[in-house]
Amino acid sequence: MKTPWLRQIWDRFARTRVGRSIFRVGLPQSNLEKSQAMVSSFLLHVQPAKVHKHALKASYSLGLGLISLYLFFILIGTGVLLMFYYVPSTEKAYDIMKDLQFVVSAGLVVRNMHRWAAHLMVLFVFLHMCRVFYTGAYKRPREFNWFIGVMLFLLTLGLSFTGYLLPWDQLAFWAITVGTNIAGYAPVIGPKIKFLMLGGNIVGQESLTRFYALHVIVLPAMALLGISVHLFRVRKDGGLSRPDESGDVVEQIPLGQLPTNKSYGLMELARGTTPQVGKNPEDEVFSWPHLVFREILLFLLVVAVVLFLAVFWNAPLEEFANPIHPPNPAKAPWYFLGLQELVSYSAFWGGVVVPGLIVTALVALPYIDRKRHGVGRWFASERVVANTIFSVCLVVAVVLTIIGTSFRGPNWGWVVPWHQSPAITEGH
Amino acid sequence: MNHSDSQNKNQVTRRSFVRLTLGWLSATFAVGASAAAAVRFLVPNVLFEPSQRFKAGKPEDFPDGSVTFMEDERIFLVRKGNTFRCMSAICTHLGCTVNRANQGYHCPCHGSVFDEQGAVKGGPAPRGLEWFLVSMSKDNRLVVDKGQRVAADKYLVL
Repeated sequence: MKTPWLRQIWDRFARTRVGRSIFRVGLPQSNLEKSQAMVSSFLLHVQPAKVHKHALKASYSLGLGLISLYLFFILIGTGVLLMFYYVPSTEKAYDIMKDLQFVVSAGLVVRNMHRWAAHLMVLFVFLHMCRVFYTGAYKRPREFNWFIGVMLFLLTLGLSFTGYLLPWDQLAFWAITVGTNIAGYAPVIGPKIKFLMLGGNIVGQESLTRFYALHVIVLPAMALLGISVHLFRVRKDGGLSRPDESGDVVEQIPLGQLPTNKSYGLMELARGTTPQVGKNPEDEVFSWPHLVFREILLFLLVVAVVLFLAVFWNAPLEEFANPIHPPNPAKAPWYFLGLQELVSYSAFWGGVVVPGLIVTALVALPYIDRKRHGVGRWFASERVVANTIFSVCLVVAVVLTIIGTSFRGPNWGWVVPWHQSPAITEGH
Repeated sequence: MNHSDSQNKNQVTRRSFVRLTLGWLSATFAVGASAAAAVRFLVPNVLFEPSQRFKAGKPEDFPDGSVTFMEDERIFLVRKGNTFRCMSAICTHLGCTVNRANQGYHCPCHGSVFDEQGAVKGGPAPRGLEWFLVSMSKDNRLVVDKGQRVAADKYLVL
């Protein structure tokens, strides 16, 4: 077989003095080199040299976590670009949005990409959580990583919410007014938290400055740290969950009693468990190229989809923020519309109690549901009770969100989305 | 390590007690004080917001029986005969600005309905609209103080 020309160039370069100084191992050929390629590269060493075949099954993980990560990368990239123009000033912010639309080269696409990637990230982090639930992957030894995941979901919502104010249009102003007022309903500390978030009593310059600081450094830094710990723990907890590992995970062994005749025990000395159990060499493949190439392919796919959305659909920008006239109806971002629907019945129950219960239940879940069966399979029949409860909550959340998004019109009254409401048509 | 040392290993000596208490106390204090200072730092001491107390205008600017919406202050000034009252236009539910309706007030955000007295007639609002203290200044202007809430039936008589 003839070697492809690109490969020839690469091989020639990798053999030079400079090439070898950068890539210790050339393009890996032997199994040894495949392992070395993973271990000797800073970017690749985060991942294991070999992965279980089950972890590569797209039908199992659906790649949802990776997609979320890639969306986060896109958000950092486009977000940094936007920072070169954006000024968090109530007088300038809106004009800069218009500049991005009409003046800055590719400004519109960059802003659109940031917007769509943000929406998609909320969606995919949520779908990732659903996947982990339905495959029972939150169970021991992955309880803590589930907790980190819940925190990352909240951080994603926080990032999206703080970013929502920055364009300083009507949508931004009223969504944040409504959102921070919900926070004000929390008992005892609610009004103080609201005051602290806004830097005052009303949404104004101080609020914009604060949301900007949170959006561009505080929350992204926390998310980055959280994601790092999350990925680290995926490896330390034995890779992606899989069916044959149930019951394999050895109980926590005191350090002194580690089996000395088994090398894998020593390798995981720090944790004292042996997640290598159940991993037979024949079940594993080399990360290079099997894992790495899949990841690159998925990354390209995610970028392509976001770019496609950004080119054909513009991010919304309403009129300049007007504190006197709320739009009718004033709606929060779509992922909060389920909550807003609840809030329209009772701000305290919908805005504080229900979200509080949801987060508490999610955090406590792996410590309540401690049975070790049904891990690593979708909709395992042993987990029918847990799956049913989760599905009911899921359906309720989705239905509430759809109602809030499409079935609520002026004065938060009922509308039928496929009938144009007279309020909208009368202007024509 | 001699015999008596190992025997006293679990006992708290005066030296270890002082070391422990001082060490942990100062560490806790350092972290706590820094955190408290950081939170306090974030609480603004000066607000660049419109004054809570402001002059609404001369009494004769408001015709008898009128309800005047003042945009910037987000209030309604209500005159009936020689009585003046001031009601907040901020919905008690989630802070949207309510609109004057044929009868009472409507909130566009989540559909709360209030009557002429600001009492809740429907929707999710937990409380009625607030009423503020109205007084007269020396130069014959109506002064509204949004910092001072009053009952709905309290008014300024001229």
